[in-house]
Amino acid sequence: MTMARKSSSHIKGDPGVIFLTAVLILSCLVFMTLKVRCDQISRSRVPGSAIIYLPSGKYLKYVTFGYSSVLADLIYLWAIQYYSNYAIPERFQYLEHIFSIISELDPRYVDPYELGALIAVYEGNNLELGLRILDMGLEKNPDQWFFPFLAGHLAQLRKNYELARAYYKKAMDIPGSPEIVKRLYAFSAFKTMDLETAWRTWLEIYETSRDERVKKIASNHLYQVKAAIDKQIIERAVALFREKYGRNPYSLEQLKRTGFLKEIPKDLDGLDYLYDPATGEVRAAQIWWKR
Amino acid sequence: MKIRAITLNTFKEAIRDRILYLLFFFAAAAIIFSRLLALLTVGDRVKIIKDVGLASLSLFGALMAILIGTGLVYKEIDKKTIYTVISKPIHRWQFLLGKFLGLMLTLVVMIGLMSLIFLIVVFAHTFKLEPRLLIAILFIFIELMLITAVAILFSCFSTPILSSIFSLAFYLIGHTSWGLETLIRKLRPGPWRSLAQFLYTFLPDLENFNFRTEIVHGLAIQPRFYFYSALYGLFYTAFILVLANMIFRKRDFV
Repeated sequence: MTMARKSSSHIKGDPGVIFLTAVLILSCLVFMTLKVRCDQISRSRVPGSAIIYLPSGKYLKYVTFGYSSVLADLIYLWAIQYYSNYAIPERFQYLEHIFSIISELDPRYVDPYELGALIAVYEGNNLELGLRILDMGLEKNPDQWFFPFLAGHLAQLRKNYELARAYYKKAMDIPGSPEIVKRLYAFSAFKTMDLETAWRTWLEIYETSRDERVKKIASNHLYQVKAAIDKQIIERAVALFREKYGRNPYSLEQLKRTGFLKEIPKDLDGLDYLYDPATGEVRAAQIWWKR
Repeated sequence: MKIRAITLNTFKEAIRDRILYLLFFFAAAAIIFSRLLALLTVGDRVKIIKDVGLASLSLFGALMAILIGTGLVYKEIDKKTIYTVISKPIHRWQFLLGKFLGLMLTLVVMIGLMSLIFLIVVFAHTFKLEPRLLIAILFIFIELMLITAVAILFSCFSTPILSSIFSLAFYLIGHTSWGLETLIRKLRPGPWRSLAQFLYTFLPDLENFNFRTEIVHGLAIQPRFYFYSALYGLFYTAFILVLANMIFRKRDFV
């Protein structure tokens, strides 16, 4: 006990220990201050330099020693921070490379494809790039309907209905895809004026759905498609009439009387179409989505 | 005089270590191989040579510092040769400093030789001398100085295997601690943020010595950054050495 106390008091009073502790604390304070000073100086950076020289994920996988999914996670986390940095305007240049590395390292990791595509389309304003990333996702995960669904949605937002339709078709064909995909497919078919396919698909939805709300939506769209088909028929007849008589018919009955129309079509609710003799235009009696 | 004797002895001991030559061989092979690697690229081949060359210098230099440094003090204790040394009129800090300087001298020779090979390979490609590469090498050396101090610190109280693992962890932390900045930005003000802020400032930031990207791409670096980085390296090394000395002087060899 006495010895311990002696030893303790010896250490406490040892000028060497006091000096070393003082130097230790001082050097610690100095290097921490210098660290703050260094951080205050901005350094020139090569945007994405940390990652752009990474080889393709296919080769990188061999050097991860079985930790490829961890590396994929880390690159994904890095990518989220990197693409949130608005100070790097050219950051989208490496988007495909980075996300293809993640996809090679962990092909079943679906979030990066989704995020990569959204960044490409919304931030980079590059639909093609976004679609390429989603195609990559579908290639690696052929059972995931979500990739073509999102691709269709993005194409639809950019008003490329032909492309949207093709993607929705792909999504529809994947087992487990929700019913809304078929509705969007029918919608884009209508937008591309493939009225026959649009009619057939909406009718199928109407007949097979058990949800009254969906039935109502399908019914409204069927009304819209039928109106478009009828409008085409009537306007074609009006054009032929005008070609022969040099003027528009006074009414739709006149078209029937003169043999340009066999029957005057009625809308899905049995109402007459509204015809304007001055312009020759035809429109439905109701707004389809307000029925 | 006493420190000089230990320094020279440590240097003589280190250059007899076979692992040093093995690492030197791999480093030289990697630097020369960078020329072949450059053939595979499309575009700037010199960039690949510089990148691979500087990375080899940094990586193999760190391995040299860790693998030799971690055994320096431990071997003396294990082989009981420490008794002969401490029985002489010599302070323990002088012994430790001599060990540190001896390994630094070894690294000066090794990095010097590797740099020479590297500069010859670059010159063979560009036909011009690039003094800026020497700055990158100098800061690699400052980084190695810190790693050597860390290796000696662990060598004072741990086995070479554990010391190597700890030193390697220090190296990895040093090159990734900058990521804490992102975490700090995401955290709300409070104790966690303060803790993260403290760790960010206290943990080693070896990226402060990494000028490889800027120099390879020919980007400007503010001179005061060189100054602060070099001072940061010196003070951090001093801190580690003082800590090592405090641990070493408490060790009982009886």
